[in-house]
Amino acid sequence: MVPLENIKNVWQKQEDCRYKFSKEEINKMIYKKSSSIVKWILIISILEFTLPYILLLFTDYDSSKDFYNKYDLTQIMKMYFIIHFVIIIYFIFTFYKNYKNISVGNSVKELMKNIIRTRKTVKYYIYYNIGMAAIIGVHIFYKVFTSAIFKETLPENANLLTIWVLAMVLFAFVLFILWGVYRIIYGFLLKKLNINYTELEKNE
Amino acid sequence: MTKDLEHKFVTELETNQNIIHKVCRTYTNNEASHKDLFQEITIQLWRAYPKFRGESKFSTWMYRVAFNTAISLYRKSKKNIDTSPIYDNYKELEYQDYDDEHDKQLDLLYKAIRSLNDIEKALALLYLEDKSYKEISNTLGISEVNARVKMNRTKTKLKNILNP
Repeated sequence: MVPLENIKNVWQKQEDCRYKFSKEEINKMIYKKSSSIVKWILIISILEFTLPYILLLFTDYDSSKDFYNKYDLTQIMKMYFIIHFVIIIYFIFTFYKNYKNISVGNSVKELMKNIIRTRKTVKYYIYYNIGMAAIIGVHIFYKVFTSAIFKETLPENANLLTIWVLAMVLFAFVLFILWGVYRIIYGFLLKKLNINYTELEKNE
Repeated sequence: MTKDLEHKFVTELETNQNIIHKVCRTYTNNEASHKDLFQEITIQLWRAYPKFRGESKFSTWMYRVAFNTAISLYRKSKKNIDTSPIYDNYKELEYQDYDDEHDKQLDLLYKAIRSLNDIEKALALLYLEDKSYKEISNTLGISEVNARVKMNRTKTKLKNILNP
């Protein structure tokens, strides 16, 4: 048993640790690769920023163009693209600014706050993308379902309301799955950090 | 110039390495992880070194970087996950003035600290190192009042673990 009044004594009497590193060993160490989570946060974030566009490369540009022309969506899609582009620039700028603020020389709480803030930018970016996909998706559905070309292809007794409801439910389901998957990835990366941050914040 | 800086850094770190070892022994429970964390802290210290302007003592700054690395930045590499705890077999140590009783007590103390949460570990370490509340509050980034409240809880917890 360690008597509590003695613990400082016990602690301060401790000798050098058994693994005393020489100057040469320390010198070698500083050139080794870091395994810091900040590096992973950067890699994963860049992937998340670029993934939607990498996926776009695999879509058939000509057939999308034909589709937009057919349902009179070309102008609308252009408008969405411009808005989207401006917003993305804003997100990347914010991300970069927050990322730069991450400094290991900060206090423990400040560092955690900066890491969480940086990741939050990416989280909002993903949510924004899901939201934007929802708006554009509904808009496209609306344009298609109300077009004469589409109505002509329907059998006579088809109920347009049922088609609407089905399309919306399926679409919402896909977006919900995307959101859920993202929550898991985000939670996994920051779980420990969030727990420790809450612990520090308590009683502040 | 870089070589000079490197030399200065390595010398200072070599002299003060015990600080990092204490943090490593607090946050890890086997030899491989201890060395791995030591290396990561060293890398982080070296990267941040050009920004260290001496506004605080080298050792104070080291604590801050070491805690940040151990609490927030370090991810256990897979190769280190296994292995049985080594600190429980500290008897193999060959100290010149080997003091069995003291060593056992130190082992128990580290074991107790390791059962605290990440923040409490830092608090316990800073308490044992006799740091002022001002320094503790600066290192952790919380108010002095909160540091006192948290410290009292940590001490009580430690007392309960050590004297069940």
